[in-house]
Order: sequence, then C-alpha cells, then structure tokens
Amino acid sequence: MLQLEGLTVSYGAVQAVRGLDLSVAKGEFVALLGPNGAGKSSTIGAITGLVPSKGRVILDGKDITRLPTEARIVRGLTACPEGRHVFANLTVAENLRLGAATRSDKAGVAADIDRYCTLFPVLGERIAQAAGTLSGGEQQMLAISRALMSRPRMLLLDEPSLGLAPMIVARIFDFIGSLKADGLTVLVVEQNAAQALRFADRAYVLGTGQLRYSGTAAELAGSDLMSMYLGA
Amino acid sequence: MEYFVQQFVNALAFGSEYALVALGLAVVFSIMGLVNFAHGEVIASACYCVFLAVAVGLSQPWLAILLALAAAGAASVLLERVAFRPVRNAPTTTGLLTAFGVSIILQNLFQLLISPRPQAVPVLNGLNATWHVGGFTVSSLQVMEFLAAALSIGALVLFLNRSTLGIAMRAAARDFSTVRLMGIRANRVIAMAFAISGVLAGVAAVFILARRGSVSPDMGFGLVMKAFVACVIGGFGSLSGAAVGGMLLGFIEVGLLVALPQEHGGLKEALTYVIVIAILVYRPEGLLGSRQELGDKEI
Amino acid sequence: MTTDALPATPSAASRWILRGLTGGIITALPVVAIGLYFIGFAPNYYQHLAAAALVNLIIVVGLQVFMGNSGVPQLGHSAFVGLGAYGLAILATPVALKKLSIPHAPFGLSQITLSPVIAIPISFVVVAVLALVSGRIISRLSGVAATIVSLAFLVIVHSVFLHWPELFKGNQAFFGIPKIFGLPAIIAGAVAAIVIARLFRESATGLQLRATADNLQAAEALALDSRALRRRAWLLSALICGAAGMLYAGFAGTISPKVFYFQQVFLTLAMLILGGMGTVTGAMLGTILLSFGLEAIRSVETGVSVLGIQMPAMLGLSGVALGVVIVLCMALRPQGISGRYELDEAIGALLRRNSRMDKAE
Repeated sequence: MLQLEGLTVSYGAVQAVRGLDLSVAKGEFVALLGPNGAGKSSTIGAITGLVPSKGRVILDGKDITRLPTEARIVRGLTACPEGRHVFANLTVAENLRLGAATRSDKAGVAADIDRYCTLFPVLGERIAQAAGTLSGGEQQMLAISRALMSRPRMLLLDEPSLGLAPMIVARIFDFIGSLKADGLTVLVVEQNAAQALRFADRAYVLGTGQLRYSGTAAELAGSDLMSMYLGA
Repeated sequence: MEYFVQQFVNALAFGSEYALVALGLAVVFSIMGLVNFAHGEVIASACYCVFLAVAVGLSQPWLAILLALAAAGAASVLLERVAFRPVRNAPTTTGLLTAFGVSIILQNLFQLLISPRPQAVPVLNGLNATWHVGGFTVSSLQVMEFLAAALSIGALVLFLNRSTLGIAMRAAARDFSTVRLMGIRANRVIAMAFAISGVLAGVAAVFILARRGSVSPDMGFGLVMKAFVACVIGGFGSLSGAAVGGMLLGFIEVGLLVALPQEHGGLKEALTYVIVIAILVYRPEGLLGSRQELGDKEI
Repeated sequence: MTTDALPATPSAASRWILRGLTGGIITALPVVAIGLYFIGFAPNYYQHLAAAALVNLIIVVGLQVFMGNSGVPQLGHSAFVGLGAYGLAILATPVALKKLSIPHAPFGLSQITLSPVIAIPISFVVVAVLALVSGRIISRLSGVAATIVSLAFLVIVHSVFLHWPELFKGNQAFFGIPKIFGLPAIIAGAVAAIVIARLFRESATGLQLRATADNLQAAEALALDSRALRRRAWLLSALICGAAGMLYAGFAGTISPKVFYFQQVFLTLAMLILGGMGTVTGAMLGTILLSFGLEAIRSVETGVSVLGIQMPAMLGLSGVALGVVIVLCMALRPQGISGRYELDEAIGALLRRNSRMDKAE
C-alpha cells in the first residue's frame, strides 16, 4: 500500500533520515521504532508532505512525492501528529467535523461523530467544550478520532503514547489494535516499543536516521535490539 | 441632547468603518501572519474601479456598490496570488515589508495611471441624506454604515462558526499544518481569508466614497494606519479585538472632536494616537489580546 | 587560572573596539571617495544632490542601528530627523528672520538666537528625551505592534509640526536657518555615523541585541534584557537620525514638515532593504545604489525628450521603482545585497580563502 524508496530528510546540513526504504502492505500493522532523534517523526512528516524530503513516497503504486499534503489526505492517507495537535480553540464537535472535511456525506459524518462519542464517552460529554480544556489522554482520543473521521485507508500515528499515563496508553493501544480488525492499514511510530509490538505484524527500527533492523514483531521481541535501541 | 445623539451616531459610524478595515487586517494576520499594509490600496482600488465605471457611463448607485464589493474582494485575492504567495512562509518582518512595498507601488501606480490629484466620484452622494428618527436629526449615511458593518460582522461570525471552511480558518489561525492534515487546501483557506478581508474593505469603500465623493491615490493609507492602531489596541490577531479596537478608536476620535476647541482641531489625529499609546503602556498586549496572539506567530 | 583570565577581558574589549573602528573606516571609504569626487569635480547642482544622498545615508545608518540589530521593523525614524532639523532651526535662526517666520513662538524662542555650538547639543537633548519616552513604550511591545506604534509616533510628530504653527510654522517652509554645514561636514557626519553604527554592532549591547533578534526565547533564557537592549538601540538610532536632520537643516537653510514624512521613510527603508538591513555595509551600499538609480529615474519622470520626441511626465515612477525594489528584495533576497557580512568581514574572508588556495598550490 505504502512504499518509501531512498527517503532522505534534511534540516539544513543535518540529515535526519538517510536513504530509508520501507513498505507497508494493505491491512498490515507496522511499527516504526527507535530512540529519540532517530528520524521517526521526520519520516511521518515526509509521508504526509509537511516536511520536505528527497526520495520517493509511493501510495497504491502511485508516486505521491510531489503532491501537497492536502492531496495526499484526499487519497486515503491520514495522520495523527505527534503532540496530538487538537485545535484547542475549537470545540470537540468542530474538531471532529474538520477531520471529515474531505467528505461530502453529511449524514455519514454525523453518524461517525456519534460513533466516536460512543466509543469514547468523554468526547460525547464534552462535545461543545473547547478541545484545549481536555486532558492529555482525552486529547489523544480526540486526535485519533479526528484522524479517522476522514474514513482513511491508511492511518499514520506519531507517538500516541507521548506524555500519557501507562493506563491510558494501554487503553489507547487497545483501540488502535482494534482498528486492524476493521481492515485499516496502520503505521505507528513509537518509543514505547512494548506497547507498539503488542499489535504490530512487522517492525522497523531506526537509529540516527538509518534503518537498523526490520522483521516481524515476534523476531524483534526476542532479539537483543530491544535492549540496544529501545531500552526495553 | 440632539448634539449628543448626533455625535454618538457619528462615533458609531467612524467606529464601524475602522472596525471593518481592522477586521480585514486581523483575518489575514491571524491566518498567515501577514501585516497587510496594502489593505488600504485594496480600498483605493475598489474606489478607482467605481471611478472608471462612472467614466464609461455606468453610473447607477446599486451597480457602483456591487462593483466596489466585487473589486475589493478581487483585488485582495489578486494581491495574495501575485505579491504575498512568494513570502507566505517567510518571517513576519519579510511579509510586513513586502506589503509595505506593495502599498507604495499601488499608490504610485494610481498617480501614474490616473492622476496624483483627487478625482470626483459623485455617484453615491445620494446615500447621504438627513433622516429624522424619533425627533432627532441624523445622517442616513452614518446609520447605514453602522448597520452595514453590524450585518457584515454578523455574517462573518456566522461563517466562521457554521461552515467547514470557516471552522478551518479559525483552526488555521492557531495551527495551519494540522489543518492541511485534515485534507483542507491551504491555498483555499488563504484565498478565502483574503476574499473576506477584501469584501469587508469593499463595504468600507462604499461608505468612504459616499462621504468623500472623490478618490485619491493615498486615500487608503491613512485609514489603514488607523485600522492597524485599532488592531493593536484590541490585541493584534484577535478578531473581536479588531472590532472592539475599531469602535473604541471611533469614539476616541469623535470625543476629541467634541472636546477640542476649533483652532486645535488639527491635533485630533495626534491626540488620538497619544491616547492609544497610553492604553498600550498599561496593556502592551492590547485589550483582548493574549501574549501568544501578539504578532510572534509561528506558522 | 583566574590571573590568566583577567587580562583577557580588557584585550577582548579592545578587540571589539578595534574591529568596529577598522570595519567602520573600511565601510566609510567608498563614501569618502565618492564625496571627495563630488567636491572636487562635480558642478554645484550635483553637490546638492550628493549632500542630500549623504544625509539619507546617515538616516539609513540610523535606521539600521535599530532595525538591523533588533530585527524589529521601524517606520517612524523620520520623526527624529524632523525633530533634529526643527530643533536646530528654531534655536539657531537669527532673531530678525524669526520675526518674519515665527514671531509668536512660545517660551520666548522668537527673541533668542543661539550659536550652533549650543543649539546643536540642545537639539540632541530634545531628540534624546523624546527617544527615551517613545523607546520605553516601543521596547515593551512585541514585533508587529512596535512597528505600528513607531509609525503612529511619526504621525504624531508630523501632526504637531503641522498644527503648532507658532513654533514650527505649519506646513510652510521654515527659512533663514544659518547654512553652517557644507558638503565636507556632511561627509564627516556620514563617516562618523558609519563608524558609530559599526562600533554599536560589535559592542556587547549590539551583539546581545542581535541575539534577541535571532531567538528571543533563547536570548531571554540567557538573562538578556531584550527591552533594555532595544531601548539603547532606539536611542542611538534616534540620535543618528536627529544628527542627519541637523545637518540637512544647516546645509539647506530651509525645511518643511513634508520632507520628514512618508516619502523619506519609504526612500530610506528601500535603501536599507536593498543593501541589507543586517549590516552597516548594507546601509551604505543600498543608499549609494538607490541614490544613483533614482536620479536616473527622476530625469525620466519629469519628461525627457528621447530622439527628439518629448516624453510625457510620469509622476510616481520613482515611487513605483522604490516599491518594486522592496518587494523584489523581499521575495528574492530578503537579507539584501550584503547578506550577513560587513564589507571588511567579506574582504577578510576573501583574503583568507586566497591565502589558503596559495598554500594549497
């Protein structure tokens, strides 16, 4: 579904990602792991197009490297950015509505808003409240729901566990894992390898911008890479 | 009492005009961090379009009004495409100086292509009549200006709260990148901001034209100066701040007009600015502004 | 350890002074050369043009001191030029001429004539007082608001010039100012302004101010007081602009408020942007280039005859050119021609590279 070929991201003279090759098949759940500064978020940025990059990004066999971010979203990609980035000055309902900005079926959008409010009752309770007043975990639930509002075929998740309590992290990952059953393709970037590997089919490990390892989640869990790169 | 009511309506009218122009500046600034010094030339462009239309014989007032609104909207969007797109992601200073340069170019082009002297445009003079409302004599133009401003602001609020694009614009004021992640085209949001800004300026242009009955190359610059000051007192980048600041400026000006003796009337402008600056000494972030909205916006 | 470190401090201090002085003098050399050429070889009319251009240069240097180092656009500097000019005019114009122009001046100013030696310092004090007051307010505001308020300050000062005719003679020309300055004095003033601006740039205040422009949060985390730094730059900038005003008044003998208004702001701003606002070299380069360029455009503007055909006058052409310079610079090269380096730094880098290449061979 998604292929990266020779992806390179540079900020001035610093290369954050160097010649990364990666692929995610349809319906697969792939984890992109690595320590701080390994280039994980830059990779997500390059896939969404918010961060300029060299190399090729291929979605459904089509080269989307030159497309602006908006056009990539229209093609079925969606991303939940690091640090959640809910629109703090907008209400929960407005946040969800913007998530569905690419859709034109009003009834479907309303039904989806109801669906996420049932899944995460706290969103339903605070539907008319400014998103900035939500707690970190609630904001993460909102950000993921918002990303899913576009009915994407592929979801990019950047550090969903960042700054959240372990119990909430587990709950959020349970939800992310459940998405696999719906046939959604997921690429999740995480420092919390243990959580990410609970549901991942395969994993890539990045270190200082380069690919250090790739294989199935089960292989990775047993290897000494876990302690070398992932502190687990 | 009569005098008081007249001056009150006068202040409302001036305040409405400043609020309209200041809102136009704030809409653009809040979304892309551009300090649009060329906004006054959008107003002047609209007025010159009406002038040219009258010159070729199109002199119906309703046509002039529609033309002013359309021309201002179009001029604003066109300026974004031609001049401001290359500096969209540049620092605030770069955008500010670009807009300043665009303003100089347009003012001088009006001089070069039309005339450095004011040109008469009497087409909307008919709007200016005397009305008797409940025993008071008021200027129709002033009442209409206030109503038009109230209506425009109401429509803007409705748009920003109800339509998806409007909600996206509010979101973009804080976090443009994430708005793009929602699949909303950045160009569309920015073009809409400039179109709204332009149409608001067009509404102001109609009333300026009706009051002055003439156009001149630098007619917009002084007004935009005041609108910027209104934005600064209201809190730069805040939409409600721009509207409140504009109204306040109108009342300060008319208050000075009433208070100052005739022979010092010329100092009205200077004293207005002194009062405004005095407000800023106590509230550097403006009346409704917060520190973060104060111009050092990250895009 | 400490005994070793101690002598290093004064030598570091003298090093920045030395760097500022040599840098300033190198930057001023082209100005002196062009100025001397005009004194020696150009007809009288061109000497006037040269004087006007050099006054503009001093204003641009003054503008650079605040805008270039703090990164905050300032559009009100012409207020200080006007204050300096009117200060000298009101104090130094002979009583006989004041009887004609400002017979009802307040504070008995129409009854006194001060020698320039006294009038100039007093004018500087007036400029300094107003700069201190306005600087206190402007340094508190963040970027955009500061720019707008600087512009409002210009409008206030201009409005007072216009509407206090007893003192400033309204929108009429103020004449009879003793012509105490010639082209050599203006050249000397320009050199002094360039050297002072360079010294400020290299000084601790200048360096710290540039750091706040680079990254305000980081600089304030290092306990740099951005407000105090901006206030100092604002004061120096105002004094340099005020000096330009006095030189102009003492050269031309006649001033009027419209000289010190938006036209001058546009012109000097375009000069600084073209040359590059980050450096004093930029101020110098931009002024020289635009002064020559605009003179060429002005001759077209007033209607020249090309091949025997009289071209129509095109008022506004020079204004369009100024605007185009600003817009194109911002779109293509926002740092201006000079970029980040002063003339002496660029020469030094070039020499080092050449010597490296020599060694390599």
